[in-house]
Amino acid sequence: MWKLSYYILGDLIKNRIILGYLLFLSVVGWGVFFLESQPEKALLVLMQVALMAVPLIVMVFATIYYYNSREFILLILTQPIARSAVIKSFFAGLSCAFILSFLIGIGLPLVLFYPSMESFYLIISGLMLSLVFIAIALYVSIKVQDKARGMGVVLLLWVFFAFLYDGFLIFFMYQFSDYPIEEGVLVLTLFNPIDIARITIIMKTEASAMMGLSGAVFREFFGSSKGVLVSLTILVIWWVLPFVLAGKIFSKKDM
Amino acid sequence: MISLQNISKRYGKHEALQSVSLEFTRGQSIAMIGPNGSGKTTLIKSILGLVVPSEGAILVNNIDITAGCDYRKTIGYMPQINRFPEHMKVSHLFAMMKKMRPDVSDGDYDEELYRAFEIEKMEKKKLGALSGGMSQQVSAALAFLFNPSMIILDEPTAALDPVSNELLKGKINKCVDENKLVLITSHILNDLDEITTHVVYLMEGKVRFFKAMEVLRAQTSESRLNKIIVRLINEEFANVEA
Repeated sequence: MWKLSYYILGDLIKNRIILGYLLFLSVVGWGVFFLESQPEKALLVLMQVALMAVPLIVMVFATIYYYNSREFILLILTQPIARSAVIKSFFAGLSCAFILSFLIGIGLPLVLFYPSMESFYLIISGLMLSLVFIAIALYVSIKVQDKARGMGVVLLLWVFFAFLYDGFLIFFMYQFSDYPIEEGVLVLTLFNPIDIARITIIMKTEASAMMGLSGAVFREFFGSSKGVLVSLTILVIWWVLPFVLAGKIFSKKDM
Repeated sequence: MISLQNISKRYGKHEALQSVSLEFTRGQSIAMIGPNGSGKTTLIKSILGLVVPSEGAILVNNIDITAGCDYRKTIGYMPQINRFPEHMKVSHLFAMMKKMRPDVSDGDYDEELYRAFEIEKMEKKKLGALSGGMSQQVSAALAFLFNPSMIILDEPTAALDPVSNELLKGKINKCVDENKLVLITSHILNDLDEITTHVVYLMEGKVRFFKAMEVLRAQTSESRLNKIIVRLINEEFANVEA
């Protein structure tokens, strides 16, 4: 299995889009600290990149990569290699490529220019989100046979998690603002990996002081070490679950 | 060596295979023929584990293929359409495949076709840039590379030039002499004449017959495979009408 992952990683490192991704993250990650004199502000910019751009690029790329590798998968599967090993290798290869890019482009400047708890949580969240969205992309591309439809589903999922879900949440909060719904909202945010990541980071920054009453509940939960543990656990579930489901479909799929 | 037991495969409502039972043994060279959409490729893909049958069991060397992937060590496969990763170089492909097969050591590769097709001359080329015939040559060389005891070829001769075609046929005959099992599908019946010992005729997902060539020759008093098939099909139509 490791030979296959190693091979896939080798293929990915030479891929132009991965190199472009690394370049993009590096330009933003290193550049923002030269342009911004306050590291706190730079952190917020990088947070937006990690929460918005990273999921989109990761998910679109992983989907295209899977669809383009279908011939290769067919070739490999005629050899004595188990299907589970093939899908694990794909996940491992893609994960390594994106984790490395993120660590070099965003992680390194954060550690060098703003070594703090906030930076630490931002890096962890960014890496977790990469894994989550690779797993979701693999699930979708294995489940959906048609490339164009698979791409559409992936883009819709991104729009949903990045914008629509928050819209619904705000609408819900506004409608029921007379009731004590803070805990309900807190539970609802756990259903969106981007929200979990965002709140985990924000709770560690100065910006969390600006949040109102409902913010207090969040702060009490996510600010505590127990809250962080819970949110990280849920992010792990968010990548393990789609990956396990993808593996299940893959093991029974007609090639 | 290969035993198919009541294999059925449904794609939605379409039945690609309907309770197919067949037994193939060593030293046989089996031609699998039938019209388009008769289930030939589905059957081959089922043996390779690429398609999961809806019902039935497949045993390779008496081991159920759902038990694990190791049985594929004994099978060499040449697919119908060679869709290789486009950006990979030919040399890279062979190096990678060898790495994927640590069970076959350096001296045990069967590089006869690799040399016969002069694949080292195209080593620098990208797989996406190969012509149809060249990628079939690569594919054939790969199928025989790990010295399999069973070789499955799906439409092997469609795009090959006459010289390569003869080389491949020679190699197939050699394998049969070495007591290996060869399974071929093809529409080009003339190509099959010299290399087959048995014929399976599939139609609409069912096995119409599975007979040795001598039996078929005696039955129809024809010598060429294409004549035999036409004869049998005509007889069948006559039976249906009567």
